[in-house]
Amino acid sequence: MTDAELVARTRTGDADAFGALVSRYYDACWRFAYHMLGERADADDVVQDAFMRAYLAIGRYDERDQFRGWLFRILTNQCRNAITSRSRRSRRFVQDEVAIESATSPSVGLQLGVEDAALARALAQLDPLQREALLLKYAEGLEYTEMSRMTGVGESALKMRVKRGSERLRALLGTLDV
Amino acid sequence: MSDEPRVLPFPSEEDDDAVLGAHIAAMYRGYPARSQADADRCAREVIARAKAQPAWRALVPRQRWWWGAAAAAVLVVVTMRPWRPDASDEAGRVFTSAAREATTPPGAAAGSPGGAMARSPQGTITSLDGGDTVRFDLRLATEPKDVSLVGDFNGWDESATPMLRRNGDETWSAQISLSPGRHVYAFVVDGQQWLVDPLAPQVPDAGFGPANAVVIEGQR
Repeated sequence: MTDAELVARTRTGDADAFGALVSRYYDACWRFAYHMLGERADADDVVQDAFMRAYLAIGRYDERDQFRGWLFRILTNQCRNAITSRSRRSRRFVQDEVAIESATSPSVGLQLGVEDAALARALAQLDPLQREALLLKYAEGLEYTEMSRMTGVGESALKMRVKRGSERLRALLGTLDV
Repeated sequence: MSDEPRVLPFPSEEDDDAVLGAHIAAMYRGYPARSQADADRCAREVIARAKAQPAWRALVPRQRWWWGAAAAAVLVVVTMRPWRPDASDEAGRVFTSAAREATTPPGAAAGSPGGAMARSPQGTITSLDGGDTVRFDLRLATEPKDVSLVGDFNGWDESATPMLRRNGDETWSAQISLSPGRHVYAFVVDGQQWLVDPLAPQVPDAGFGPANAVVIEGQR
């Protein structure tokens, strides 16, 4: 069943149809939220809030948009709100630091898990808007046009965020003391 | 572990962004997927929370800017509301139309209506000569040829009580003797336009035109 059909059935009050939509996109949403926020509990809350808002606003959903893009638009806004409201926190990706500490010697070559953990750690140190742009561009594989429609930011600004974010990421990875 | 910083095999500044992007994508997808049970629990909680929401929540805008706009609108309305004269300046001698139930105390001395009229853009009623004589003043922005006062005290005759224009301003005045009690009146401009003081108390339209203002003179 297509997204449009599930949305139509959700609008008629079919809870199972909405459940199918959640099942289809929960993993992608959670993955994005987790990399944006760095905490599992925060990612759980934000994803649930995003689906909640999507459910309440599904009457205003325009079928000409991709449901995934529309949902991610809500999700990115929720992530921004969450980052703003919890800016007092300084530590992120706690479990990844544990993974780094438990890594073995890199003499023969880095283990994939250590490399990923270091990259995640460097991503977490980026400015949230740069992190958002890098994740949407490289992790979600979106075009700048889609990113612009989703975030409400101009394509030039997004390109600049990706460029600056990449440079900053390289600098962090180059000086990372594991 | 060595004391030297470890150099990770990530692309240098000269490398293509695509290499870095591929690393990010690989790391991103390397995290374990969430279970179906997590998704089902999320859907159940969303449905339950949505049903628990009060109906009025759906009508209230969620955007934060809406609250700012509403506050700004209230501020504008409060600031720009029509100015009304303060009847307390004349200590009960001058009864402006803003006073909803104008009452002339028997034996009251004549006030100084000019001061009040200078500030009031509407009609003014002033007790003269100990309370029996009342002067009606009406300030108009236009320049009509004639204005008259009509009411139950003159049988609603347009020619019975003509108002005279004061020298130097747009105020038209008429003095009549009124017995204590409730009186209904209006103004007629150029013999055609019946004018009701918008700030004075009004009575329901009885089918003869616009609603008329009411004055209560003295105590019965």
